[in-house]
This record gives sequence, C-alpha cells and structure tokens, in this order.
Amino acid sequence: MRKRKLSDILLNSITAISSSITIVLLASIFIFVFKEGLGALSLGMFTQPYWSENYYVSIPQSEGEYVLDTELDEDVYYSSKHGIALRDDLDPQHEAIIVIDYIHPDSSFNALTNKTSGPLEGTEIIINEGMIIRKISYLGTNGVVRSAGPVVKQDAKETVETLEKSDVLSEAFIQSQGGGILGSMIATLYLILISLIIALPIGIMTAIYLNEYAKFHKMAPFIRSSIELLTGVPSIIYGLMGVLVLFPITSAFGANGTSILLGGMTLAVILLPTIIRTTEESLKVVPQNFREASFSLGANQTQTIFKIVLPSALPGILTATILGIGRIIGESAALIYTMGTFINDDPNLLHGATSLAVQIWSIMNGEQPNFALASAISIIILAMVLIMNISVKTISRKLFKRW
Amino acid sequence: MTTTLIKSSKEKKRFKRIQDQFTKSMFLLSAMISSLMILVIILFIAQRGLTPFMPDYKYGTQDLFKFLFGMVWRQDQAIYGVGFIVINTLISGFAALILAFPIAVLTALFSVKIAPKKVGTLLETTIEILASIPSVVYGVFAVGSIVPMIQTIAQGFGIQTAGGSSMLAVILLLAIMILPTITSISITAIKAVDEDLEKASLALGATTTQTNFKIVLSAAKSGIFAGAILGLGRAFGEATAVSMVAGNKMFGPTLDFFDITRTMTSTMLAGLKETIGLDYDIRFSVGLVLMVVILVSNLSINLLKQRIGKQHA
Amino acid sequence: MEKAFSIKNLDLYYGENQALKNINLDIMRYEVTAFIGPSGCGKSTLLRCLNRMNDLIPNVKINGEIHFDEMEVVNNKIDVVDLRTRVGMVFQKPNPFPMSIYENIVYGLRCQGIKNKQTLDKVCEQSLKRAALWDEVKDRLKDSAYALSGGQQQRLCIARAIAMEPEVILMDEPTSALDPIATAKIEELIQDLKKDYTIIIVTHSMQQAARISDKTAFFLMGEVIEFDQTGQLFHIPKDKRTEDYITGRFG
Repeated sequence: MRKRKLSDILLNSITAISSSITIVLLASIFIFVFKEGLGALSLGMFTQPYWSENYYVSIPQSEGEYVLDTELDEDVYYSSKHGIALRDDLDPQHEAIIVIDYIHPDSSFNALTNKTSGPLEGTEIIINEGMIIRKISYLGTNGVVRSAGPVVKQDAKETVETLEKSDVLSEAFIQSQGGGILGSMIATLYLILISLIIALPIGIMTAIYLNEYAKFHKMAPFIRSSIELLTGVPSIIYGLMGVLVLFPITSAFGANGTSILLGGMTLAVILLPTIIRTTEESLKVVPQNFREASFSLGANQTQTIFKIVLPSALPGILTATILGIGRIIGESAALIYTMGTFINDDPNLLHGATSLAVQIWSIMNGEQPNFALASAISIIILAMVLIMNISVKTISRKLFKRW
Repeated sequence: MTTTLIKSSKEKKRFKRIQDQFTKSMFLLSAMISSLMILVIILFIAQRGLTPFMPDYKYGTQDLFKFLFGMVWRQDQAIYGVGFIVINTLISGFAALILAFPIAVLTALFSVKIAPKKVGTLLETTIEILASIPSVVYGVFAVGSIVPMIQTIAQGFGIQTAGGSSMLAVILLLAIMILPTITSISITAIKAVDEDLEKASLALGATTTQTNFKIVLSAAKSGIFAGAILGLGRAFGEATAVSMVAGNKMFGPTLDFFDITRTMTSTMLAGLKETIGLDYDIRFSVGLVLMVVILVSNLSINLLKQRIGKQHA
Repeated sequence: MEKAFSIKNLDLYYGENQALKNINLDIMRYEVTAFIGPSGCGKSTLLRCLNRMNDLIPNVKINGEIHFDEMEVVNNKIDVVDLRTRVGMVFQKPNPFPMSIYENIVYGLRCQGIKNKQTLDKVCEQSLKRAALWDEVKDRLKDSAYALSGGQQQRLCIARAIAMEPEVILMDEPTSALDPIATAKIEELIQDLKKDYTIIIVTHSMQQAARISDKTAFFLMGEVIEFDQTGQLFHIPKDKRTEDYITGRFG
C-alpha cells in the first residue's frame, strides 16, 4: 500500500514539474523580449523608415531673431537667433545623440540646400523635427569656420549656446533616425492581401467541392490526403518551390528576382491546407436539413451553396482567415528565399522587401545585431499574434452560440 | 391562387442547369489545383536539386557520391558534402525529440487529467500561445538567452565555445520549439480516450495515477506517437531560428555538443545574400535531401509503431 | 378524378439492401393520401422518390417508373430542380433557414429569379394566410424564424413550400416533433389545403392517418400490403397483416 502511494506521489510530482516548464518557458520568452525591446519601442517606429538618411546641407543666412511662440519642454534648448531647438537623447545603441526638437516656421532651417556634390547639389532639402544633428559649422569670431555638436562632444545645451554666439552658420550634417518599421509594415500588409486574395477563393472552393460535391466520391480521400501532406512540408521548402514554380509567373508581371508578389503567392500555397481544412469543418457543421429544405424548394446546387451553406459557414471561414494572417505575420524562411532580406523603406509589389519577421532576421544577421530593435519588433509581432488568437477564440464561441 | 408567375421559362431552366455545371467545374478545378500542389513541389525541387549532378551542368557537374557522403562543406572552395550535415540534422532532431517528448506528454497528461480545471485551461492556453510564436522570435530569444547561458556553463567547465552558438544551443532551441506541437496533439489524444476504460481501471482498484499512466497513456498511444512524428518533422525542417544559433561549421559531423554545427536548413540559409551559381543551386539539392530525410524518418517511425503494435496485440 | 402520381414496378436499393419492392400505386389529385407502417418499412423512402430527394444519398439505385403528368420522374434526364418546384416537401423536424420569416418564405421565389418587391410581399402574405400563420406573424416578418415556436416554425415551412405554388405537397411525419395542440392545428390546415393541393403524408400515427386522410397505403418491409379508402382500410382491412398492424399487434 505505502509503496503504491509513494510511487503515485512521485509520478504526480514529476508530472507537475514538467508542466510548469511550459509556463516558465513562456514567461522567459516574454520577459526577455520585453526587457530588451520595451525601451526601443516607440510610436515613431511605425512611421519611420529603417535606413537613416544622411543630409549634408548649407544653411542660408538667418534673418534676425525668431521669437518663440510655443511652449517647449524642459531640457529643450532654443536658439532664437536661428529658430531651432535641440534636445539630448539616446539612440538604440544607447549612444548620445542630439535631436531637433522644434523648428520655427520662419527659421532658415526650413530652406536648406543640398551640399552633397552630384546631380542633386543645390536642390532643396527638407528636414523634420526628430532628425539628428551630427555637426553644424559656423563662422567663429576670428573668421575661422568651426564646428558645433556631437562631433566636438557638445551636448544640446552647449551646442545651442555656441550657435547663439555666431551670426553665420555655414553647413550641417543631419541624419534621419531610421530604425523604423514603416516599410516592413506596408510590405506585410501587401503580403496579407495578396496571399489571402489567392488562397481564400481556391481554398474555399476546394473545401466546397470536397464537402458538397464529392463527399462520398472515390477520389475524395486521395484529394484530402494530398492536401494533408502539404502540412508536413517545412516552410523553407515552400521558399524553394516559390522560386522554382512561381517565379516565372511573377516575371510575366515584370518582377526581376525576389518580390513581394512572389512572397505573397508562395504564402498563398502555405495557407491553402489550413484554409481548406477549417472551411471543410465549418461546412460539415451546417445541418443537412438546410440543404434538403433548399433543394425541396427548387433551388439548384449553386443557389443552395451560395445562399444557404456558405453564409452559415462564414464564421469558420473567418477563423481560417485570421489564423492565416497570424501565419503570414510569423513566416520567415519561405519569404527569405522569395522576397529577399533587404529592408525596403518604400516597398513595391515587384521588388523585394521584408515583412516584420524577416526584418528581425535581417537585423540579427548584420554585423552588429540590434537586439533592442529586434526585440521591439518581436513585441509588436507577439501582440498581433495574441490578438489573432483571442479573436479566433471569441468567434468560435459565437459560432457555438448560434446552434 | 395564381399559378403562372412561379413557373420557370425554358430559358431560366437552362440557365440554372448551366450555372450548376459552371460552378461545379470551378470547384473541381480548385480541388485539382490544391491536390496537385504537393506533386508540383516534389517534382520541381527534385528536378532542380538533381541538376548539378547532371552531365551538362553549366557550373561543372558535381559528383553525387561526394555530395551525399562528403564531410566537408566550404562555400569558398566549392566543396559541397552534405553527408555530415544530414547526420547533424538527425542528431539535433532526435535529441530535441528525446528532450521534449517526455515533458510534452507529462504536461498533456497533467493538464487533461490531473490538474484542476482552471490550471488545465491555463496550461492549454500557454501551449497555444507558445505554438503561435514565430520562429524568428524564438531565434532572438535563443541568441539572447540560451546562447549566453551555454557560454557561461561551458566556461564553468573550462570549455571553449564560439560565444555559445553550438549543437547544444540548436538542440535546446528545437526542443523548446517542438514542445508545443507534441503537447497539443497529445492533449487531443488523451482527451479522446474513452472514459469507460478509466472507469474500468478504477473499478478494479487502481489509483487515479496508475490509471493515468497505465491505461490512459496507453490508449492515447497512437495519437501521441503521431505528435512525436510531427514534432520530429518540425525539428528537421526548422530554418530561421536554427540558423541564428548554429554557427555553420565547415566540416563534421558535430559530436561535441559545445562545438558549432550546421544543419541542412542552416546551410540553405547561410550566405543567401551573396550567393550565385552552383552555390545557389546546391541549396535545392540540400532541400531535396531534407525532404527525403523527413519522408524516410516518418516511414521508419511508422513501421516501428506497427512492429510495436504487433507485439502488444 | 385526375392522377397525381402513377407509380409502376418501383424497386429501390440502398447498396445491396432492397428498401422498396415492386411498388405499384396510383395517387389521386386533391386528396390526402397517407403512408403508414412500422419504422423502416420504406414509406419515407418512397415519399422521397417523388421529388428525387433520394439523389442526396449515395449508393441509391432505382428501377421502375413514376409518372407525374407528362414527366417520368425516375428517368435521369429530367430537370430535377424544376420537378421540385412542382412537388414541394415539408420535413419531420421544422427546418427554417437562419433568416427572417419573410426571407424564408420568399427564398424559393428568389431562386427562381423573382425580385419584384410587390410580388414577393404579395406571395408572402398569401402563403402565410394559407398556412394559417399570417395573423400571428404579420407584425414581425423581419424577425428571425427561430423566434417562433416549434408548431409555428412547421407552419412556416409549410407556408414556404406553398409559396412555390406546387401541385403536390409531400409531408414526411410533419407533426411527430410537435405537441398535441400544434399537431391539431396542422391537421386542420391539411384538411384545408387539400382543396388546392395534392397531399401525401407519411405518418407514424395511425390515428392521424385515420383522422385526416382520404386514402391510406400500408407499407411493410418495402412493400405496399394494402391501399384503399381510409375508412375501408381501417375498418375492413383486406389483408391480415394490415389488420394486425391496425390492432396494434405489432408497432
């Protein structure tokens, strides 16, 4: 008796400990990602490009005093002679930078011209608040050109003080901040649209065929098995397939190599089995009663399917779509082959770009993996995935309520 | 009552018939496309993968034997031997399975049969969330947590590592990634066990724990097995996360777990940005080998399952 | 008296199993004909042949003829969809669509391409009146059909079938899922409907058949044992098996 109880307790404890491993795991992943990434997370990320732009500009003569008419925060230093306010900040690598906090509407900083030699020399350059000052050159008291800014290890306060003392500023090195995900967000959106537009119709129609026409047909099990096999294929293989099979199609559209179009079409194939399976499940749940009633009223099969069966199966199809979107957001290996790894701030269907997940890959694969940014993007992805999961659950619950 | 307005004209009747024929063929076409996909994938990759070994290959025909059994992979010297890589993949996959399988099954058993309902639901939700985390995020986590941890442990033992990227890192990462898969399939299998079996066991005087371990797990065996096979396939096929912690060693196989390593998938992703010619094409050959490995391992485990099944029958 | 259906030498097989054996039956218009018999004797199966609903079941083989006007129904070449606009059906369990009452009624019409709102409104009102449901639902036509009680839903299904202006209405145990009051209402309705429609009703209840039908066919193990005026069949049955069934010796 006692021996039995002892072994029972032992087994149960081992089981409980094993189970806690999963919770510890989930917690660790979330804690790590938040710890590294929360600091780098900002609303600006969603609208900024990834690559920072460098501007080498000449500054026109300032026109006297620019009176400040708005409130500035503490620790923001304003130069009334030149109409520009600067503050200190840290970049993702935690290096000190000086950020332009405010530009007076009449300031000469609104009319900068490009000083970089080449075809664009002399053209107008527009800079915005949020950009970084690397160096500003000014005419010193004895007529010598001197520098101000981080390049001479000044902070915002010191830089502004230096500028106030000088009447003439000659040129500046300005940089946009970068590290944003705008390009990837747009690319991800394109991916979702393209893959769903292709996969949903084909998937739903396949499911309809399997459940409404061929349910007891001899071929049905074969068709189902060949679709089930697709779920065991690793995504990198889909990437290879995309390059081989789908690339000729995208070439016809004008794409020359990796492209969002190619990535989207490849993802459509990846989504297909899930959409088919989920749709078939929801078609099965529609009571046979409904179909019989519809037929007995003189509807043909087309009408019965589109008027009665599909509308009833809609929640299931919606679930499949949301699951699909979650899959697209998380996919990486297949896209690396078909869409490339170059982070594109201005994505175009016929050129390569990165989705959010692939941007993380690209960042981590560089010479200096930017953990902070990678983790910040991970937080965004995790949030999206969680929202998808919750929506699917809510819809499933609503679905059961109906019947 | 009027009887004329409902009766369809001949044209309407024809239209309805044609409409039905049209939609039926559209649906059939979709079904054909979907079911042919797998064949398309296999054929195209096989064709492209075999091209480097064909006589007229434009970058110089490769020796199939040297490819399949070679133990060195060097991009710079154009030496491509996938043999050791296959062994590495098998080692990492099976090791991950051995690590993850018991935890997965016990967790499944606990959440379905032993834990109070709320804890069970909590565990199931945790597993679901873990299953939806994308591989890149696992990769970032591995590079940031697991790899430094291995570095520290290795240093404790006085072993040199390349910053922690190692076979061990790959195995731990894979184990973590396939855990949710095996667990959720096991949960489904355990839930499907007939209550009557449990009742019979309890009625014979067995404790709940004995019933759980002797009867329930046994009855759920085939489902759990299927979960293991699926998990193993995932382990073999996982690409992005693995390539972030592998290290890409040029020769092998890697038997020293603290040494850097290379798997088929990490090979397919390595240096993809600057690749051309033979180096690009050979990745398809590796992909072909990967598909074969997954297929063969699935079949062998299934065969094993049938053999064991026969013994118990 | 016109014939609605003339069934000749009809056999039906579910796979290897023969469910209907050599049925020969003439069903007259503007009468209520009842099919009675123990469970599984083939009465529903025969009913479903009349509007080709057996097409929905796999592995069914039918030999013989069913004549409906100028059509021969078993023949595969006929337009089944069209047949079903002329031969309507009401099922055992009420099965309104997940739509409003109005949309349920006009569903069949819409499938015929009829879109004119006045026409649809008119047919909806007429059908609901004919099915003795109009007064109860006239103010809530846009409500979901599921808001109705079981009996009301069944009358809705009858109204829905009537909206198609069929010549025949087939009823497959229409009241077996309903309470006695709802049942009585529908039986009353059937008596009224036979003025304009041919009604064939499958019923488990002999008493119901005795109450509402003009002719009754007694089925046993796939065969029609006896077919006669209802009064005759119930009081002076010609076959001993019929007598046994009616007196309750087997159910």
